[in-house]
Amino acid sequence: MANLLLDMITTSAILFLTSAGLLVVFGVMKIINFAHAAFITVGGYAAFVAHEIGLPPLLAPLFAFAVGAALGAVAEWVIVRRLYARPLDAILATWGLGLILGQLVVLGFGRGVQFVPPPVQGTVAVLDTEYSLYRMLLILIAIAVAICFTALLNGTRLGLSTRAVIMNEELAQGLGINSSRVRLITFAIGCALAALAGALLTPLTSVDPLMGLPYLIGAFMLVMVSSGSLPALAVACVVLGGLQAIISTYFGSVLGGLTIAVFAAIALRLRPEGFARA
Amino acid sequence: MPDIANTTQPAATRPALSSRRLKRIAILAVFGAAVLVGPLVLDPYTVNILVRAFFVAIVAVTVDILWGYSGYLTFGQGAFFGLGAYTLAITFSEFGFGPWQTIAAFGGAMLLGVLVAALVGWLSFYPGSTPLYATIISLVLPIVLVQLIYSGGNFTGASSGVVGYLTFTFMTDTWFRIAGIATLAVTGLSHVLVSSDAGRLLRALRDNEMRCAYLGLDTSKLRIIVLVACAAVAAAAGAGYAAFGGIAAPENAGFIFGTQLVVMVALGGRGMLMGALVGALSIELASAYLSSVLPFMWELLVGIAFVAVIVTMPSGLFGVLGAAARRWVPWAFSAPQQVMLKTAQARAETVQAGIDETVLEAHDVTKTFGSLTVLSGVSLTARRGELVSLVGPNGAGKTTLIRCLADGREASSGTIRIGGTPIDKLPPHRVVRLGLGRKFQAASVFETLTVADCLRIARAGRDRPSLVTTSTDLALPAAARSVVESAGLDARLDDEARYLSHGLKQALELAMVLALEPELVLLDEPTAGLTRAERQRFAAILTDVVEREQLCVLIVEHDLDFVRQISSRIVVLHQGKLALDGSVEEVVNSDLVNEIYSGHKVAKGKEVSQ
Repeated sequence: MANLLLDMITTSAILFLTSAGLLVVFGVMKIINFAHAAFITVGGYAAFVAHEIGLPPLLAPLFAFAVGAALGAVAEWVIVRRLYARPLDAILATWGLGLILGQLVVLGFGRGVQFVPPPVQGTVAVLDTEYSLYRMLLILIAIAVAICFTALLNGTRLGLSTRAVIMNEELAQGLGINSSRVRLITFAIGCALAALAGALLTPLTSVDPLMGLPYLIGAFMLVMVSSGSLPALAVACVVLGGLQAIISTYFGSVLGGLTIAVFAAIALRLRPEGFARA
Repeated sequence: MPDIANTTQPAATRPALSSRRLKRIAILAVFGAAVLVGPLVLDPYTVNILVRAFFVAIVAVTVDILWGYSGYLTFGQGAFFGLGAYTLAITFSEFGFGPWQTIAAFGGAMLLGVLVAALVGWLSFYPGSTPLYATIISLVLPIVLVQLIYSGGNFTGASSGVVGYLTFTFMTDTWFRIAGIATLAVTGLSHVLVSSDAGRLLRALRDNEMRCAYLGLDTSKLRIIVLVACAAVAAAAGAGYAAFGGIAAPENAGFIFGTQLVVMVALGGRGMLMGALVGALSIELASAYLSSVLPFMWELLVGIAFVAVIVTMPSGLFGVLGAAARRWVPWAFSAPQQVMLKTAQARAETVQAGIDETVLEAHDVTKTFGSLTVLSGVSLTARRGELVSLVGPNGAGKTTLIRCLADGREASSGTIRIGGTPIDKLPPHRVVRLGLGRKFQAASVFETLTVADCLRIARAGRDRPSLVTTSTDLALPAAARSVVESAGLDARLDDEARYLSHGLKQALELAMVLALEPELVLLDEPTAGLTRAERQRFAAILTDVVEREQLCVLIVEHDLDFVRQISSRIVVLHQGKLALDGSVEEVVNSDLVNEIYSGHKVAKGKEVSQ
């Protein structure tokens, strides 16, 4: 029972980490970044490279974050910004970007599976059960990401400009806010968060060119349900992540894997405006 | 009957029509010959690749109809293909191969496709759903399907798929001809459909779904019908593929395949059936040859080409080629046919002047956003032949009131009756069918449709459009026709709406609204941005129509001079409440209106009671 409870919480934390980057992009730019899965993969490989060149394990996620941010900024500058007026095309172009990144990864590292040793090993005693220490750590990291992000949005000048762009982009431009700069930074941060999540996943899964894909639909659905709000995303992750852990435990991982997609789709059908104000 | 009065001269339109039919037959003959001769001149490997490519091309054509024509970006058509493939493979595995099994397999595939598409359509399309949401649902479908296949054990063959069943023993050449003709048939029928009067609705949906709803079209139902039809075709193609290949594998149903279809259509040219066809065939062929020569490079190149095409030429390679061809060899394209303007037969219940009939009754309408009350307790009635102006300062709730009257789901409380029927919770298209016409503040037309086509869409609810033929006349009710003629739109019937001036767009939208033969017309600042001359002409048209057709018009307007000139009654909204409701003289001379419009508090401070 305690094990299930911990599974529920850590599943929620992983979901939050893998969808936060998508939420950032959706919230500001009102588009879904279909290259999100590719950026998770890029993060996984960044952690692998960091390990190969001998960076200390603690720096691997930061290295992945930097790689994701750099690639995201370039992608926004070269591709996405030309498609502001055509949101569905912007989505398609990010899908193409995902294809390109995926193939570059295959060209660089091959189709094979790589492994990165976890930075911490072993278990801890929680609630009279032994539980993976690394999964417990992910809960703290997820909370830290949420706090950093909230602080960035509410405590900095960039955050203020971003909130202005979210509310009314035209007005923000009129007030002298450089909204394309805000979009560039947003897209870069979104991709960086995806890459960070990819690096953090490496101790749990192997690194391969398709490692990001399983998280893509879950992230899409969670972001749609929370309609761009970070607190709502946290709640959605806890509710649907918990449900996923329960269904995986009692009905097998196949149905568990479909939980989020199916429940979120039905929830959105019944309440199209999402649950941000619920 | 006005129809008979100005009958068309058939001789004038016949030649253009037959030249178009001739061209269609010629194209069909060329492709048909290619399909029949193909196996004789191509090497066996290419023939084999092309059979698969034909089945894929059929699905690509359905993707083009859904995405290119009707604007629904879907990654889910691959799933319907897979569904069809698995249905046939499982039927043949479980019940053996034979005539009734074949009929059952294809019938079952299409039936399953229809049922699943109906469910997906119900999830994706409802009043207020967003295109992004529908796209995401189209991604969920293949993922759910593939998971079910993986967990299906021996029944679905899990990750290795269903193989080893007995199937047709045709030669590959025969398959080539069967699949080629099927592809040609689907593309040809699709062409007839999308260029028919009914097919025009698809492009209208893509351009402006909201306008469609306010022309009384049930857009959700339309989209579901199109999806169901496309799913049935895709499932049949999948079944054909499994009958040919002897295998149904998870990757035939997965979302990677669904996205490849979108890539093919995007590269070839969306919104052009030929683009989808050529895109699918050439990518299938090229990847069969190049993926072995340049294994990873090829997919990278496709990705780069895809992004480049999306960014720099959204109409795809075929769109660019087509535009160039139109410029360099214009004679190859038939000139648009002359549109014959006619007067539509009036509805049975002929309007008699002078009837004092209440069209609109709003009682105690309130609208709140959270704790903010935008409209509180507004009650209003309006009768036939009245032109009621709604005035008030910005933020008084005028547009909100219009929205509440046009969409039964908007008002927080209160009752609204149009033509005596309450509109509670009715979506716009149902309200429109009660006799409402709404013109938006910013002209809302179908940008890529011609003026004549925009007006035909407005008539689609009344004159059921044909699925096969394309009409050359345009039958409009007298009121709409008089707007078209007095604005000079009759000279521009063949121009796309996006090339019209702002004033002409406003006139076009008004004509579209009047083509609905409404009893109550809502106009939200129809003269904003018009020149003084245009405004005068608009006033003349409007008062004339109200007079002649005994319409009831509710108009939001800022210009008091204009209001005074046209109105039979004026209603003043102030801070979400109905402040005044009276004749032009009463209202224009009231203290409240002077205060609102001059900004000065009137010295005597007479409060106007409700």
